Amino acid sequence: MARQHRRVGYGLPTLLAIALHLGILVVSVIRFPSSDTEPPSQSVVQATLVSAETATDQAQRADEPPASAKEDESSEDEATRRAEEEEARRQQEAEEQRQREAEAERQRQAEQERAEALEAARAAAEEAERRAEEARAQAERREQQEAERERQAEEEARRQREAEEQRQREAEAERQRQAEEEARRQREAEEQRQREAEAERQRQAEEEARRQQEAEEQRQREAEAERQRQAEEEARRQREAEEQRQREQAAQRAAEAAQNSLDRAIAGEAEAAANAEQAQEAANGFINLVRQAVEQAWVIPPNVGDNANALVAIRLGPSGEVFSASIARSSGNSAFDRAAIQAVESAAPFSELRELPASVQRDYREFNLNFRPGDIR
Amino acid sequence: MNDAMSIPHLIMNASGVVQAVMLLLLIGSLLSWVVIFQRSFVMRRARKAHREFEDRFWSGVDLNELYRETPAEQDTLGTEHIFRAGFREFNRLLPKTRSPQAILDGVQRSMRVAWSREEDRLNLHLVFLATVASSSPYIGLFGTVWGIMGSFQSLSMAQQATLATVAPWIAEALIATAMGLFAAIPAVIFYNRLSAESSRLLGKYEDFAEEFHSILHRNLQGRGETTEG
Repeated sequence: MARQHRRVGYGLPTLLAIALHLGILVVSVIRFPSSDTEPPSQSVVQATLVSAETATDQAQRADEPPASAKEDESSEDEATRRAEEEEARRQQEAEEQRQREAEAERQRQAEQERAEALEAARAAAEEAERRAEEARAQAERREQQEAERERQAEEEARRQREAEEQRQREAEAERQRQAEEEARRQREAEEQRQREAEAERQRQAEEEARRQQEAEEQRQREAEAERQRQAEEEARRQREAEEQRQREQAAQRAAEAAQNSLDRAIAGEAEAAANAEQAQEAANGFINLVRQAVEQAWVIPPNVGDNANALVAIRLGPSGEVFSASIARSSGNSAFDRAAIQAVESAAPFSELRELPASVQRDYREFNLNFRPGDIR
Repeated sequence: MNDAMSIPHLIMNASGVVQAVMLLLLIGSLLSWVVIFQRSFVMRRARKAHREFEDRFWSGVDLNELYRETPAEQDTLGTEHIFRAGFREFNRLLPKTRSPQAILDGVQRSMRVAWSREEDRLNLHLVFLATVASSSPYIGLFGTVWGIMGSFQSLSMAQQATLATVAPWIAEALIATAMGLFAAIPAVIFYNRLSAESSRLLGKYEDFAEEFHSILHRNLQGRGETTEG
């Protein structure tokens, strides 16, 4: 009989168990959901079962002849029983063999089916993935188109606004230029008329004087020579005085006219200055109004330091509605920034803009407000 | 996989109680696998030894010769042990009494004792497997409950209760349950398998004891006839 060491120690099982756990740990660290521990140990057991059986059968067959030879006591029924048993065992063995084969066949079929199922599942998964990919790409494309459209619309609006502004500016300039032209023309015509009237008057006066002088001469010639001479002298003196006076008068009148035009120019300038002042005042009033409205609508969030300071850039439409309010310089506190923008939006339609003079409206369509806890600048 | 949510990271960051539970479960799993391997080897050897001895026994060898061939009492296992105990008792009682019944009773008692020892030897440590199988899911569940309690405590302290604040806690708590099941499932399977194998072997031993008893009985019967006749 083969003498193998009978007692099974604990060293090898401990090593195996530790190795198994380390293997599972490594597998789970590399890839998480795969902890299948049963198959290896089962396969070990099955393998030993098969091999042991065949070894025993061979040994038994080898031991068969001496068994029958050396039988001494209680031989017959024992022999029959052994034969029966032998027969049964062989049958059982054949049965087992058949079962094993069938089992292997079933296993192979199951394996094949599993492989097919796996293949199908993988194909389905690939299909699904591909479809998901496609859908994602389509969604992306749609999104891009959407963004493009939006951007174009914005661009369009901006262009229109710019064109509008340009047109307004041009019309304004045109109007101003026309008014200037008109005034200049009027001034020129006035001057021309005055000059003509002056000339006419002078000519008439000269004529008058000449006629008088002729009449005088005639009379004097008809009267005495002396008196004529005296008269002549007198007349000459008179004429000279007259001339002097008239020259003086003309000069005075010309000076008067020049003075008039200068006055007018000064008056126009003063008026323009007054206009500008008024516009400035109105603009200051508008900014004050906006500041008050925003301050009233402003809810300062809690936990804001005193030195928080946000600059909000505001763009208004022509009628005072807010086109955009954005943070030009953040305070670093997003709640504070949000509150500032919300204040501007809730105070929104600044209809006072329409009451401003047209010349300054443009300048106050864009401005910045500086928010800090305590005041707005 | 996110680095903060990887399994080792979660285990390292778990709270003390949960880590203790995990350690306990790991030790339980290791020991149960040691028992599984050891018992599997023992059962394999016992099956092989039984088959070899039975073949030899039924090969028609002289029982005295067979008795001499087998080693001393302490080294024998399984069928060999039962045969040895029974045959020794038979040989001891044979000169002392004439009554076949008394001899057979003594032999039967001796073989029953040997069978009981064999049963004890085969079922050694199987109870430990059963314990691990039935208790480790509860231990893992305890770790999970404890971890989820911790997660809710941290949730109450957080300013904003998002999923991200509780997710690591719950994940690490669930690892405890997973480890409990991981220890329990092989233990259950192998406990059933090994205990079935052990009872089958014990049944074979019993059959052998009965057969041996009948052989001795027949022998005594023949001897009684020869002495009477």
